[in-house]
Amino acid sequence: MKGLKGSKLPVRRCAALLATGMALLGGSAHAGILDFYNDGKVLATPGVSMTDGAGGGGITPWAVITGYETRDGINADFHYTYVNLPNYSLNSLGAAVGFYDRVELSYAYDILPTGSTFNTIGLVSNAVGGLLSSPTLGPILSGLGLTTGNQLAGGVDPWNTTIKMHVVGAKVRLIGEAIYDSDNLIPQVSVGGFYKWNENKVLLETLQAAKSKDWEAYASITKIFFPVSTLLNVTARYTGANQTGLTGFGGPDGDHKKVRVEASLAYLLKKDTAIGVEFQQHGHNVDGRNVTLGGGLDLTSLVNNPLLGPTLKGLGVDSALVSTLTQKESNWYDAFVAFFPSKNLSITMAMAYLGQITFTPNQVGYYISLQTSF
Amino acid sequence: MKPISFKTLAVATALLCGAATGSVLAEDKVAERTEGKTPAYPGIPADSLEKFGGQAGVDVWVDDLFYYILADNRINQIFNTHGHVQRQMALNKELESMVLGGPGRYTGASMSAAHAELGITVTQFNAVVEDAYLACDAARTPYHVCNQLIAALAPFERAIVTK
Ligand code: HEM
Repeated sequence: MKGLKGSKLPVRRCAALLATGMALLGGSAHAGILDFYNDGKVLATPGVSMTDGAGGGGITPWAVITGYETRDGINADFHYTYVNLPNYSLNSLGAAVGFYDRVELSYAYDILPTGSTFNTIGLVSNAVGGLLSSPTLGPILSGLGLTTGNQLAGGVDPWNTTIKMHVVGAKVRLIGEAIYDSDNLIPQVSVGGFYKWNENKVLLETLQAAKSKDWEAYASITKIFFPVSTLLNVTARYTGANQTGLTGFGGPDGDHKKVRVEASLAYLLKKDTAIGVEFQQHGHNVDGRNVTLGGGLDLTSLVNNPLLGPTLKGLGVDSALVSTLTQKESNWYDAFVAFFPSKNLSITMAMAYLGQITFTPNQVGYYISLQTSF
Repeated sequence: MKPISFKTLAVATALLCGAATGSVLAEDKVAERTEGKTPAYPGIPADSLEKFGGQAGVDVWVDDLFYYILADNRINQIFNTHGHVQRQMALNKELESMVLGGPGRYTGASMSAAHAELGITVTQFNAVVEDAYLACDAARTPYHVCNQLIAALAPFERAIVTK
């Protein structure tokens, strides 16, 4: 710095400026603009990125703050996660920043192509829509509140229905050191929240969710038991989400937020490899519910209607078909292995056991997630 | 199962934080000890030192550790400027054997006294942790046994890191 002011020779001044600039960028020996960058956490200890974008396991936010920074700086990460299930595939893309191992901000974009899952809804709404022009049945439908065909689409684009959800999140570490406090039982404790907005409002109404946008809050505790190379995280999340919000929030009688429990147990096999299992409790806001059309008309009541029923049956829409549209939600489980070849890359593979999602049971599939950190 | 309310969750979190702050503020006895293994959860197993190769294994590990520390550009300047490496190696051989349950005493300065003037950051502390794992690898000490030593040394972070 001295050279900058002290030197009268333009060449020297220039060189000093250049050197200062390099020091600012390089930042290692001199105070500089990149000095906030830090990657001082021990390998694997920040965990990975969960599908809501927060630092944690695969589906559960942990009390650890995302990224490799210690309290001395800032670090960021990006993730791409792909889950392949019999009737769905989930893609989660996201970015997160960890500040001073204290605060974490995250964003995730979850994209869920649903294949043919919702095609039956399309079939039913087409059949019902066709009756609107009938001189005898049309007025009955109007009487039930259905007037135009487009009310009936149900948010379904046959063969091509894709659910899209945005998630922003923030987390603060309150107390504890998951790693260093190995001589006591005090865990690392963080609290955080998500705000989620789902783009498929009409489909979520069809599925009888109360909301397409909602917030969630959680408290997580994480502890590493080094003598047995094991990490335990327990999270209590206050939420009304159906399938994490991918199928909306709440049910016919309100948003139904409740505290639900999640847990991750990981065994550290090597300094760059962990294996483990996770559990996530889910709600039952729309369990046993059918779908509704045109903003609240239950399909069961349509097929049971003495005037409409016989005609609908003739079109293939009967109570047997409608009963295939009964929803249920299950708790989620997964078993994973995570590799940390360097602080810049982690690769997580898992088997996901997600039970029934909307109408389709036995959603067991694989999960792969890549995360890069800088 | 009776659902837990949001209020209960908030109160439980606050209580946990209060309890933890209280106990962390209490005097840090772990870093002042001169004999016996470090308390840990679950405890350091009785055969830990043996699995580590006994005193001879600890000695080899400390030699390897200082090899990696002095080769580590993130922290070696601190040791070159302020360290007394021969003395530190001898004392670390006592210390690591002790924290794993060895019979000997540690005769050096307390962890807080030894590092007080150094302004060590947690980033630098973690660099030593990474070198500790490398030393385990070099001595072919299994990772899960190495973690027992890590468990026994980790609480020193509170005394050693002052920045
Ligand atoms: C758990 C981790 C650590 C342990 C067990 C440990 C252990 C020790 C021991 C036993 C001594 C000798 C005390 C004496 O002379 O009486 C010592 C001194 C020293 N340690 Fe550490 N240390 C640790 C971490 C660190 C770190 C992270 C640094 C720096 C990056 C560091 C730098 C030093 C230096 C420079 C001295 C010499 C101080 C002097 O002679 O005045 N130590 N340490």
